Amino acid sequence: MLEELEAIQTEALAEIAHIADSPSLEQFRVDFLGKKGRLTAASTRMRDLPKEEKPLVGKKLNEARQAITAAIDQKGADFAAAADSEAAAGVDVTLPGVPLPAGNAHPLTQSLDRIVQALRHMGFALASGPEIETEWHCFDALNTPKDHPARNEKDTYFFEDGTLLRAHTSTVQIRVMESTPSIPLRIIAPGSAFRRDEIDATHLNQFTQIEGLYVDRRVTLADLKGTLEFLFRHIFGENTQVRFRPHFFPFTEPSFEIDIKLQIAGKEDKWIEIAGCGMVDPAVFEAVSRTRGDDLFDPDKVTGYAFGMGVERLAMIMWGIPDIRLLIENDARFLRQFG
Amino acid sequence: MKVSLNWLQDHLDIKGHPVSEIAETLTFAGVEVEDIAESGRNLEKVVVARVLSSDPHPDADRLSICQVDDGSGAPRQIVCGAKNYRVGDKVPLALPGAVLGENFKIKKGKLRGQTSEGMMCSPGELGLPGDDDGLLILSTEAAEGTPLAELFPPDTSLDLEITPNRPDLLSYRGIAREISALTDKPLLSPDSTRIPEVTATPAPADQVKITAGGHCPFYSARRIGGISVKPSPQWLQDKLNAAGLRPINNVVDITNYVLLETGQPLHAFDAARIDGGLLVRLARPGEKFLALDGEEHSLGDEDVVIADRKKALALGGVMGGEDSGVTAATRDIVLESAYFTPPCIRRTSRRHNLSSDSSYRFERGVNPAGVLEASSLATRLIVEIAGGTPEAETLAAGELPANPGDVELHEEKARALLGVDLEGTVMHEILARLGLEKKGGDNGQPVSKWHIPSHRLDLLRHIDLVEEIARVYGLEKIPATTAASIAELGADDHDYDADARLRARLCNLGFFETKTIKLISESQMEDQFITLDPGAGQVRLKNPLSDEHAILRPSLLPPLLEVARRNLHQGASSLRFFEMGTVFQTSPKEDTPCEEQYLALLMGGETAVASWHDARPRETDFFDLRGVIEALLPGKILTFERVDGGSLILEVAVSLDGAGLGRAGQLPPARARAMDASFPIFVAELRLDLFYAALREPLQFEELDRFPAMTRDIAMEVPADLPNATLNRFFEGREEPLLVDARLFDVFFDESGKKLSADKKSLAYSLTYRDKESTLTAETVDEAHAKILDALVKDLPVQVR
Repeated sequence: MLEELEAIQTEALAEIAHIADSPSLEQFRVDFLGKKGRLTAASTRMRDLPKEEKPLVGKKLNEARQAITAAIDQKGADFAAAADSEAAAGVDVTLPGVPLPAGNAHPLTQSLDRIVQALRHMGFALASGPEIETEWHCFDALNTPKDHPARNEKDTYFFEDGTLLRAHTSTVQIRVMESTPSIPLRIIAPGSAFRRDEIDATHLNQFTQIEGLYVDRRVTLADLKGTLEFLFRHIFGENTQVRFRPHFFPFTEPSFEIDIKLQIAGKEDKWIEIAGCGMVDPAVFEAVSRTRGDDLFDPDKVTGYAFGMGVERLAMIMWGIPDIRLLIENDARFLRQFG
Repeated sequence: MKVSLNWLQDHLDIKGHPVSEIAETLTFAGVEVEDIAESGRNLEKVVVARVLSSDPHPDADRLSICQVDDGSGAPRQIVCGAKNYRVGDKVPLALPGAVLGENFKIKKGKLRGQTSEGMMCSPGELGLPGDDDGLLILSTEAAEGTPLAELFPPDTSLDLEITPNRPDLLSYRGIAREISALTDKPLLSPDSTRIPEVTATPAPADQVKITAGGHCPFYSARRIGGISVKPSPQWLQDKLNAAGLRPINNVVDITNYVLLETGQPLHAFDAARIDGGLLVRLARPGEKFLALDGEEHSLGDEDVVIADRKKALALGGVMGGEDSGVTAATRDIVLESAYFTPPCIRRTSRRHNLSSDSSYRFERGVNPAGVLEASSLATRLIVEIAGGTPEAETLAAGELPANPGDVELHEEKARALLGVDLEGTVMHEILARLGLEKKGGDNGQPVSKWHIPSHRLDLLRHIDLVEEIARVYGLEKIPATTAASIAELGADDHDYDADARLRARLCNLGFFETKTIKLISESQMEDQFITLDPGAGQVRLKNPLSDEHAILRPSLLPPLLEVARRNLHQGASSLRFFEMGTVFQTSPKEDTPCEEQYLALLMGGETAVASWHDARPRETDFFDLRGVIEALLPGKILTFERVDGGSLILEVAVSLDGAGLGRAGQLPPARARAMDASFPIFVAELRLDLFYAALREPLQFEELDRFPAMTRDIAMEVPADLPNATLNRFFEGREEPLLVDARLFDVFFDESGKKLSADKKSLAYSLTYRDKESTLTAETVDEAHAKILDALVKDLPVQVR
């Protein structure tokens, strides 16, 4: 009996090596392990054995069943693996991926956000103000002479009631100084400004500016320099060269224009103007103090700096956009380049 | 202002000084050098030629055939396209072999069949300063055949941006003074710039009288008799050529020279054209004035004129008159040098759209101390160059503006503002170099008083002195610090972050953000399909530049539809755009414009990108739009209610907790077709303030379900017009604690009526039951479900199948 079982096991293990497909394997399982299978048949004859032989034969029977089952399982797993890899082998991975609908933020938003995030990192809070403004907020309070060139219907959009579309976001400086209960004041104000200009490759009649203002008891020109150098290195890279050229603005004194050195591979390095800044002119503090009726912004007690820059220009420099009109046309072929 | 270095050399020894160094010095002192141009470098084989004749080209309307005398003795034929010359004019002629500009070789050739043996040139073609709209017309003095290089020696021109606070830099003297202060180079004073002693006597009222003292506080006139008007000597012509001005005659050239040299505008009248004395008065309303540019201006009582007994001879400070200027026939002149107040000149110049070198300087403010000096210098030059005898005295009326008071420097305040520990002596040295004089002279005091020179009338306040110190000291030497105090976050920070979250969600849903101009046209107003506030008025510009941008957008849709149109024309098969921004309306109650922040969505076309995988993606419908809106506020229940009478089709009012969030719907198909859309377009406009509020609500974690749920489906037939909202309300209103969700998963119509009567629809809902505390048994769920089914058929016209 033991010999017979040994023979069945040997035969089965030899036979399974030749099985080539799943149906044959199933037939093989039925042949050996099924109800009428050879091993099953052998086991039924166990009861005829003498009692003392039973444990030994039983053990052998189990061994044979386990060995054959294990071989079948292994073979089955091999067949499944082969089938899996065959199925995968049939896939042409060079077919294109399924395109997913993808949108993205406008490049102006993205460049503005880079500036905003850098400045928030430096502890500036956001502020805003109306786009339709009074002449006082847009010009008078900002120390702009009554007959300043920008202050006329040729350059600024006006409404019948004498209000206007703000020509710069510096109006927000005045708005926040009017309403703040206390200093320090450390704000940035992104927003639209309007100039009565024909639209062409370098001009829009509406553009995005970001304004910054910091007023406290001892704000210095050195702080202004350090802050803006940090900002432009953050935006344009650690090694960006930044220079400050003295300039003139009615609402700051001293005033500076800021240039950065633009380095584009294959092109000559070029200084380009990128922002204006300066120390808040005492006349601005005086104008604010008159409307507030208190001495929070007494020019003898506080100092401050202000800066402003055009976001369209920054975006054009950042990405090499040659024509400003691309930024307002919203052609999806353009927009998706910034995804 | 364009500055010739040859001319500047009169005042400063800058030979051998690299131009780039001078440019850098000026730029970092606040006088930006915008351009550096070299001239007179490539003038070989360019000579003076006189135009002998000019005849139309037989085969080209815009060309002429000229015979010119190039000094060789034989006439030369040139085909020319310019129109600004006359026969007899002398012009530069590039002979064959000349090389202009970068590499433009002049050759003998034929133009439309006619021989041309060279080219007559404009200033630009020769790299010279001056207007480039025609040939460069040379002085009649220049001999034919003279090499042009003799007339235009090599020079470098700096184009300076002079800021409006520095009118003192609008002259060679001023620029030289500034460079001298910045570099410590001594100023030179060659003969040509020497100013004789200045004398003036009060004018008798019948000679010079001012009645417009507010506009012109000081006026001087000097009569010079017996002059001979002729072309200027070469040195003077060289100067004007270098400045890009065309020499005219000696008297006019001298006034122009003195203007550029000193910054003081002058005017010379032909004395024979003055009837009586000079009166400086306000113009009469409607008074006519013919300016020397040939334009007639109708004046008003804010303009100041220089008049004789009868008429205005000059528009004060801006331009002389056509009839009273110096001509070849002039024998006696009256030389004006005056001070006009800046605002007055600014307004006149703007009102008449008339600008001149003279008005440019007066409107910024000339140096009061230079008024008589300029007159004196010009008189000396006229006598030397044009002959004649000046009257002994200059006649003057009125008073020159007084020098403003002294200005104090507080060293401690200056240091505090600059953020650098600058020695008082350094500050003093800078101010002294700029020509300021310290009063008193007791050194070591922290506060000092400074006398301001008359050419620096922009220095009025302490801060003005600090600016000078900062400018000359240089920001480069000031340390970069970042001292700061912490600012508190406000509503604008939250709104900015909320915008960013909404934007990110929309971008993830395949939407592109747009940025459009907030001004729209009258015709775009018809694209206002969503009326945000019925009864609100338009916000219209008083002075639009074009009809295209005349009204502030009352809705984001008009510009967004233009974006859709543009992209459809580019062949877009799917549109997904949004914009966030301001809309403007006048409130019906107050009539003042209000600005509100809105979000607009526009979508249409394929819902997926067509590919080999899915060749025909489903087309966007209303429920895609609704899905997008719902995705913007996850966890919030929005209500969508049909609005009758809106401008959209399928228009719905969207609300959040009873507050109106905005409108959504489908663009009228006619409008979509008008932009060549082959699919329906869906739009929505929603107010952002409610989003901001919702996004500020704090989130709270909810325990995860620990016990499994069971579902039971209901299939039912209901009347076709029963809104789904009715069923939603029914399920939401159940007080069955185990029911946690009822979800619609199928809607079926059969218009043919075969499977289902056409006035019915079949709906399938899946109801979810769960007990938070235990595993449900089938019996418990069946019991609860049966109750709901009973109520359903009792309450609603529903047949459960």
